[in-house]
Formats: sequence, structure tokens, C-alpha cells
Amino acid sequence: MEAIADTSFLIDWARFSLRDLLFRIFHVVWIPEDVLNEVQSERTLMWIADHLASGDMSLFPLLPEYRERALRLIELSRRGPIRGLDFPEAYCIAVAEDRGYVVLSENGAAYAAQFLYTTAKVWRAYEVLWDLRSRGLVPDDVIYTYQEETRHKFPRRDLEKWKSYKS
Amino acid sequence: MADALAEREREARELRRREADWNYINSLPPKLKAALLFYIETGDLYIAAKIAGLKVEEFNELRIKAKIPHVN
Repeated sequence: MEAIADTSFLIDWARFSLRDLLFRIFHVVWIPEDVLNEVQSERTLMWIADHLASGDMSLFPLLPEYRERALRLIELSRRGPIRGLDFPEAYCIAVAEDRGYVVLSENGAAYAAQFLYTTAKVWRAYEVLWDLRSRGLVPDDVIYTYQEETRHKFPRRDLEKWKSYKS
Repeated sequence: MADALAEREREARELRRREADWNYINSLPPKLKAALLFYIETGDLYIAAKIAGLKVEEFNELRIKAKIPHVN
């Protein structure tokens, strides 16, 4: 599988000690070029640079056809009851719809989009961790480790669902 | 589905409001304070960073200092 990641996912995921397990699920993670402009810490930049060098990550250019679709997605998102998309995650969704990638995003509007107006799949860290657990690559309590290390919080109902999982 | 998604947003907003360090937020210059308040209400990192005049990751560090959880 291939994925395309936005800044909101990368800056949290880069803080996680098991971050490299991402590449056990996705053989390439595409990074839109402008995402690099939003990343600043040495930790995140080094992680991205290492994986760009190894080929696990690759830069995705800003192409006019996806830019146009992204703008249409933003318009669509503003018509609904849920918070609207911004350009970075809309661009990832536009690319993913066409190329069959999974979008990696912690943006609530992007997460909601997959249930309302796009065929693209949008995974948060939660879905990545779920997939890693189902492959037996991480322990059951990894979700708490992730929350602690990244200062990210998952909604209560997602934590309850996580606890009810039987391998 | 839209109702369930709206409920998720409401819960996330409540959590951000509850856990935020309001003394810290109120001590900040207007631009940073406005950006954090926007983030608490919306959870939108990208626009909040634009309001603050920071890169997204810089703003995320500010969010962590203000003890506002990133909920999603």
C-alpha cells in the first residue's frame, strides 16, 4: 500500500518511538512538497530526510489537476455541517482519490470527509496503530504509549473500541 | 453519520477547553492567544498556525506548552 501524509500526521507520528513501523504497512509514504515548509523541528526533519534518502518516503509535487480537485473538495466541505477542509489535507485527499493512496492525517475535517463526500480512505494514527496491532507488530497497550509520547488524545469511544478488540 | 461526526467534534472541543492552561494562554501576546483560542474551538492546526504567524510544527509546540490536547 502507498500513503500520502499531511503535516498534522507527521509531526505527531515523528514523536513516537515506534514510528518506523509505519513502513511495515506502507511501502511508500508520499509527502506533498509544501508540507516540508510547515515542518521545523530537527526530530521531524531528520526522520523525513532519512526516509526520503532510503526511498520509504517520496516528495509529491503540487500538480494543477489535483490542486483544482482540492479546491472543489474544500467547497464541498464548506456546505456540510462538519468543519471544512483546508488546502493541505484537501490536496492529499485529491491525490489519494485518484491514485488509490491512503491519506494519513490527524485533521478532523479530513477524517470526516471519507464518510461524507470522498472515496479516499483517511487514516489517523489510531487506524495505523490498529493495523500494526492486527499484524502482531505492537503490544495491546501501544495506544497509551502513543498518547504519552506524542501528547495526542484519542476520543473516548475510540479508546473503548480499542479495549474491546480481541486478537 | 453527520450527527455522529458533529458529536465527535463537540467532545473534542470540550476536551481541549477543559485541559487547556488558561493562565498560560491569557499571558501570551494577542496573536498567539487568538491562534490558540481558534485552535481550541476548531482543532484546525493549519489555520491556527497561520493566525499565529508560525509554521504548523512551531504552532504545535505552542499548543503542547498550553496543554491543549490534539484530539482526533
